[in-house]
Amino acid sequence: MALENSSMSDRIANQATGFSALRGKISFIDLMQSVGLLAVILLGCAIMSVMSPVFATVRNIENVLQSATIIAVVAIGQTFVILIAGIDLSVASVLVLASVLSVGLVNFYGWSPELAIVAALAAGMGVGLVNGLAVTKLRIPALIATLATMTIARGLAYIFSGGTNIAPVPKLFVELQAGRIFGVPAVIMLTIVLAVIAQVVLSRTQFGRSVYATGGNPLAARLAGINTERVIIATFVISGLMAAIAGLLITARFEAGAATAAQGLELAVIAAVVIGGVSLFGGEGNMGGMLLGVILLGLVQNAVNLLNVPPNWDSVVSGLVIAAAAALDVYRRKYLEAGMRKKVIATKASKPTKPS
Amino acid sequence: MSALESLVEDRPREVLVARGLTKSFPGVLALDNVDFDVRSGEVTALLGENGAGKSTLIKLMAGFYAADRGEISVDGKPMHADPAAAHRIGVATIHQDAHLVPAMSVAENIMLGRWPTRYGLVSVNRQRQRALDALARVAPHLNASTPAGRLSPADQQLVEIARAISEDSKVLVMDEPTTSLSPPEIDRLFGVVNDLKAKGLGIVFVSHWLEEVFRIADRVTVLRDGRLVGTRPISELDHDKVIRMMVGRDVRETIAEARPIGDVVLSVRNLNRDNVLSDISFDVRAGEIVGMSGLVGAGRSELAACIFGIDPYDSGAVEIAGRQIAPNDPKAAIEAGIGLVPEDRRRQALVSLLSVRTNITLSLLERVKSWGFLSITREEEIAAREMKALAVKAPSSRTRVSTLSGGNQQKVVLARWLARHPKLLILDEPTKGIDVGAKSEISELVLRLARSGMGILLISSELPEILSLSDRVLVMRSGRIAASLPRSEATSETIMSYATTG
Repeated sequence: MALENSSMSDRIANQATGFSALRGKISFIDLMQSVGLLAVILLGCAIMSVMSPVFATVRNIENVLQSATIIAVVAIGQTFVILIAGIDLSVASVLVLASVLSVGLVNFYGWSPELAIVAALAAGMGVGLVNGLAVTKLRIPALIATLATMTIARGLAYIFSGGTNIAPVPKLFVELQAGRIFGVPAVIMLTIVLAVIAQVVLSRTQFGRSVYATGGNPLAARLAGINTERVIIATFVISGLMAAIAGLLITARFEAGAATAAQGLELAVIAAVVIGGVSLFGGEGNMGGMLLGVILLGLVQNAVNLLNVPPNWDSVVSGLVIAAAAALDVYRRKYLEAGMRKKVIATKASKPTKPS
Repeated sequence: MSALESLVEDRPREVLVARGLTKSFPGVLALDNVDFDVRSGEVTALLGENGAGKSTLIKLMAGFYAADRGEISVDGKPMHADPAAAHRIGVATIHQDAHLVPAMSVAENIMLGRWPTRYGLVSVNRQRQRALDALARVAPHLNASTPAGRLSPADQQLVEIARAISEDSKVLVMDEPTTSLSPPEIDRLFGVVNDLKAKGLGIVFVSHWLEEVFRIADRVTVLRDGRLVGTRPISELDHDKVIRMMVGRDVRETIAEARPIGDVVLSVRNLNRDNVLSDISFDVRAGEIVGMSGLVGAGRSELAACIFGIDPYDSGAVEIAGRQIAPNDPKAAIEAGIGLVPEDRRRQALVSLLSVRTNITLSLLERVKSWGFLSITREEEIAAREMKALAVKAPSSRTRVSTLSGGNQQKVVLARWLARHPKLLILDEPTKGIDVGAKSEISELVLRLARSGMGILLISSELPEILSLSDRVLVMRSGRIAASLPRSEATSETIMSYATTG
């Protein structure tokens, strides 16, 4: 439909300057969350390097990143779910379930380690599918649906493992933990690869675009022909899969099918995602910001350890960081709206005079 | 003081005075220098076409909005823009749908937020007593301990009125109070209104139904395009005069030109939806612009929602170019060749966080895919082409759509559908909330699309828009098609008459 038009273009010019000025402001504010986060991280690193001789060592940094990988992998899946304005509380339980399955199926039932890993991943996706169906077909709020599966999955993990950690682990896991690619620990590389794939899916596929649209405005997405229910289900399945992968990582790290690990991990993950600028209202955020959020939380933890802060204070500090990030998010929204209002007033002023 | 009182006693006294009210929203001037008075012991009907500014005026009186200019005073005291302040100063507003807490009892709802306390605890007895006092005046048949959610809409409304009375309100604003009521319930409501009037309350009554206005009102205030047309005693008016005040200006001549009309593209057959639509049948042909007029709540948007598969219907069929399309599946409707520009573009069409480009390509993502990945170049091409064709004013295709003006946002929604070349385009209030310049651009565009052979279903509350563009006008009333008027017979008066009476 090539619709030529000349009569409309004359009014473009007088608004263009106002627009570009506003646009500059908006992209600045948009960037603020990521850039601000990066700045905080760098500043924190600088301060820590001065205050603790141990901090700026390769060993310590590697340690920080390595312990961040588990949260990061879970957070990749959680980001998908939060982008559609959902939440997944079941991730820590899924992680534990996958962990005990990956070891237990080998040790108790003589499965091959590879098959056990596939089963563990399938279990994670299965829980995600249940979550997705509960949220879309039964219309149970995500918070409640995943609270239920969180309890169920943790229970199943205990039943399967007998409530204790299962050891020894197949050699595969030991190799994974010890492995290095280009000198970088393999688990860190794996996490980066997963995050990159996730980001490409988000920004460059029809599915990813549908995720943003569904989260940003589910009604509009549906009216544009997007099957929003299927999108929502898929995000929960991804979250289950990522949690199961993190379960394999934790198996490698602890060298055990970790039945009792990851208590409260879901909250740390949600916190990291939100600090990373992924909006709990859906439709906004990306993997880069999320990773920064994970790193910031990891650094806080590390700083608390290195500076010999009494151990329980780390929760207090983490809580303050979360609150600050959430406040920044709200402030950013307000600023955006104020910017829009200013633009409207400017447009009004440039309009032909009304009879008064 | 007493002398003054006796002087004004016999004639109604202005209890609420609004002077020079001006209020604008993004892209629209909703109220322009409007004066409005409410007198105690009188019912003032507030009338106007959809979008004339009634709702804005009501929300100003209820304290929801602050006026850009002008002020409202009640008994000489200026009102602040705050719902709580409006209540304190004596203005109670009954909205179209009841604002009650469903799980709370009638008594608690009547005393909502003002629960009488003793030693810091809510005193159930005093609450009940005060609620009963108010109930006795408007709805003696109600039980004070019933949860409000279990009441009928009519009774819920009476509870709201009881709340207003218990607050010693001086002014009661009723926004289309009769929409969800049956005739006997309306009679009862009018009994209550007359009773309150006799007790000296000033009442503002908003209704689209002129019969009701003539039954209950003492004075009529008419708004049009955000401006005051006038206030007259009801005795000086009749049905036709009121319609003329509402419609106003002589509507400009039809600009629709003779176009080749092709085959039927949309055929709706005996469409029924419980309580919403009954027995709707009509056709839209290629190249034809069918206007759909009617009051808010007549079922026009609901009909569009059924055709486009947003809502299910109970019986009937929707066919596009002779092929029946599956109900309740927007994707099927889109693939069959329907495009919908919905009434509320921010809620129903745009993802405000996303860019102009992504909003345009949202319904044609499968066309910009290659090897499973979205081709940003291809997307950019489509977006640039459509933005140019519709003259969308935006700094770039990457700009967030929420930062655009109303008219440009609407063009983005249009662009999304035009890129798909639909057979039928449904436009629901396409010029709502956009400025005059963009309005005429959209009108021209509609004509051009029809000329290119697209069937257009144009739902609009703006009579000039309907009259100037339509080849045929369907008038809806209470979920039915009340009239199908060829262009020669469609005038503001006939349309308004079919829409408001019968």
